[in-house]
Amino acid sequence: MGPGALASGLTRFVDARGMQLGTRMPVDSGRMSDAAIDLGCVRKTYKGRVHALREVCLRVEAGEIFGLLGPNGAGKSTLVKILLTVVRPTEARGSMLGLAIGDKSALARVGYLPEQHRLPPYLTARQAVEFSGALSGVSRADRRRRADKLLDQVGLRDWKDRRVSAFSKGMRQRAGLAAALVNDPQLVFLDEPTDGVDPVGRKEIRDLLLQMRSEGRTIFLNSHLLSEAEQVCDRVAILLQGRVVKQGSMADLQREGARQVLLVRWPGAPRDLPGCDPGATIDPTDAAVHRHVIPSLDTAAAQLAIDAARASGASIVSLTPQRERLEDLFMKAVTDPLTGLPLPPGAAS
Amino acid sequence: MTALIAILVDTYRELASKRLFWLSMALSGLVVLIFALIGINEKGMSILGWTLEIPFINSTLMDASDFYKLAFYALGVRFWLAWLACLLALVASAGLFPELVSSGTVETLLARPIARWRLYVFKFTGGLLFTALQVMVFCTASFVVIGVRGGAWEPGLFLAVPMVALLYSYLFSVCALIGTVTRSGIAALLLTVLFWGFLFTLNTSEQMVNSFRIAKIEERSAIDRLMDTRRQKDANADVSDLEQERQNAEDAIRPLTTAHRILFAAKTILPKTDETVALVQRWTTEAANLQDVASEDDEADKPAASPPRRRGRGNNFGTVRAKERDVLAAIEKEQRTRGVPWILGTSIGFEVVVLLVGCRIFARRDF
Repeated sequence: MGPGALASGLTRFVDARGMQLGTRMPVDSGRMSDAAIDLGCVRKTYKGRVHALREVCLRVEAGEIFGLLGPNGAGKSTLVKILLTVVRPTEARGSMLGLAIGDKSALARVGYLPEQHRLPPYLTARQAVEFSGALSGVSRADRRRRADKLLDQVGLRDWKDRRVSAFSKGMRQRAGLAAALVNDPQLVFLDEPTDGVDPVGRKEIRDLLLQMRSEGRTIFLNSHLLSEAEQVCDRVAILLQGRVVKQGSMADLQREGARQVLLVRWPGAPRDLPGCDPGATIDPTDAAVHRHVIPSLDTAAAQLAIDAARASGASIVSLTPQRERLEDLFMKAVTDPLTGLPLPPGAAS
Repeated sequence: MTALIAILVDTYRELASKRLFWLSMALSGLVVLIFALIGINEKGMSILGWTLEIPFINSTLMDASDFYKLAFYALGVRFWLAWLACLLALVASAGLFPELVSSGTVETLLARPIARWRLYVFKFTGGLLFTALQVMVFCTASFVVIGVRGGAWEPGLFLAVPMVALLYSYLFSVCALIGTVTRSGIAALLLTVLFWGFLFTLNTSEQMVNSFRIAKIEERSAIDRLMDTRRQKDANADVSDLEQERQNAEDAIRPLTTAHRILFAAKTILPKTDETVALVQRWTTEAANLQDVASEDDEADKPAASPPRRRGRGNNFGTVRAKERDVLAAIEKEQRTRGVPWILGTSIGFEVVVLLVGCRIFARRDF
């Protein structure tokens, strides 16, 4: 028996159900697409019938910054770990970088910064980044060059040869980011990348994300910081109870709840205007000012309402377009519309 | 290959960052220094100019090279490398696998284009190199000391490197498995040391029971010979006392044989730590010392009432009727029937099984 046959036999023995180079059982390699990530269905049920992911379907386009949002326990990390072969799925149909989910060879083109990652404390920042590159098969010369460049980029120029054990949390996060990028990945998973980083550092990391996008990389961002996701993400998905309850581009999602608020000064009781939601309200600061809501950003609808108001002798105080903030979208998605209480995040049996 | 080298280098860096690594190296140096300081003269052992008079260790009985080789095996290999250095290495490396599977570390390693079993095996190999490196340094230093002080340049000393590394690998495979399952360095260390203690106890018990069994068999043979002798002298000679003794020996052999079979079976499937290290001595000092005891006694016809012999070297398994020489020779012969394939093959087989189980657990677990 040659070494190749022995290795193949070992692989079959230790990992009969997948997560190795080559084919694996619970994935569907037929669903391939141009998207960086295209998930038809991903399910994960832990022992004890805990459903971490019920049926996750989502698509991440190449070259975009995609934000996966959700309350703690919704299954965000589990989904990322399944994509990165850290957790074995109960079922995974779909592809990542054109290869079936679970195909280890795709990971050579993937970078990953886990939440609360731990760089080996006995290594210097440079060694840690180079070690990360070596694990991804980057040649010695390339990883040296990239480690140098990336550590400069994340602001650790003067700390390259200091041990990671001496680093603050923010510095470790920066070093971890450099380690995630050392293999020049096409797709980067970042789990709370700005966790523990000061505001200046956050800004730098956001700029780095935008720069990576401009270089054509796809970024998959897991973040609790909605304002941050709002600033950088092209598209987001909200995960709740192991399912994607909402996904789309930021522009589309914000357009969904977009409206215009028309304030008119009008003596007498509030009356309805065409193109506006029924039931105008009185402005709390001035009883003569009525507040009308136009449920879209349509300028024709606004014009119609303004004309009607002026025809009735009202004077226009203001017309303000309002877009839904990501936080509002998120809260809507994770709140029970009947009770107004937050829905349980997930992992329900 | 890049990943393999990276993991090996990283494992070395991880171990080298621990003080125990350097403490272990320093102690190895101390042991070699002791070798360099001791010598042998016609009266006994010399230590820094002082002479310790020892009747059976002096230059009239052995030359300097034999003395140093004896010291290397007895002190260097059997005591230092096979016990203390291995224990220190276990203490230093018990945390390797718990650290590997710890949250925050394991994710970054698994999210790489490397099969999980390879990660496990590479890490194991890295830990193993720790001991091999230590033993190599120790053997090289000992080689020089024995060469300079004893005048014998003995490359056979380097056999200790693979043998001690092999011994350590049996234990480290168990340590790695426990560390992976429990994710605790302390649990891995304690349970491995317990396992090692169990192996030692099992080995000692098996050797004791086997020696008693062989002694009884030799006694039975001696009684048979004595009965034949008496009958040849006088066909009507009364041998009832000998028949009773023979029956007693027979009665003792049966339970000892059963006990030995059980212990031997258990030992066969488990690693043989002591015998693995003893191979170094077996290979380099062939021609066992059976002759040493050949001249000691010649008392086949000793009366039955004589007390058992309690002199001579080693095991003292002389019996009422059997010569201690014969018993020791039989024990030695029996030990030597346990060939290298049995000692190493079954031990490595155990290690491979433990490694496969560890790999499988590591490969199938969600982190």
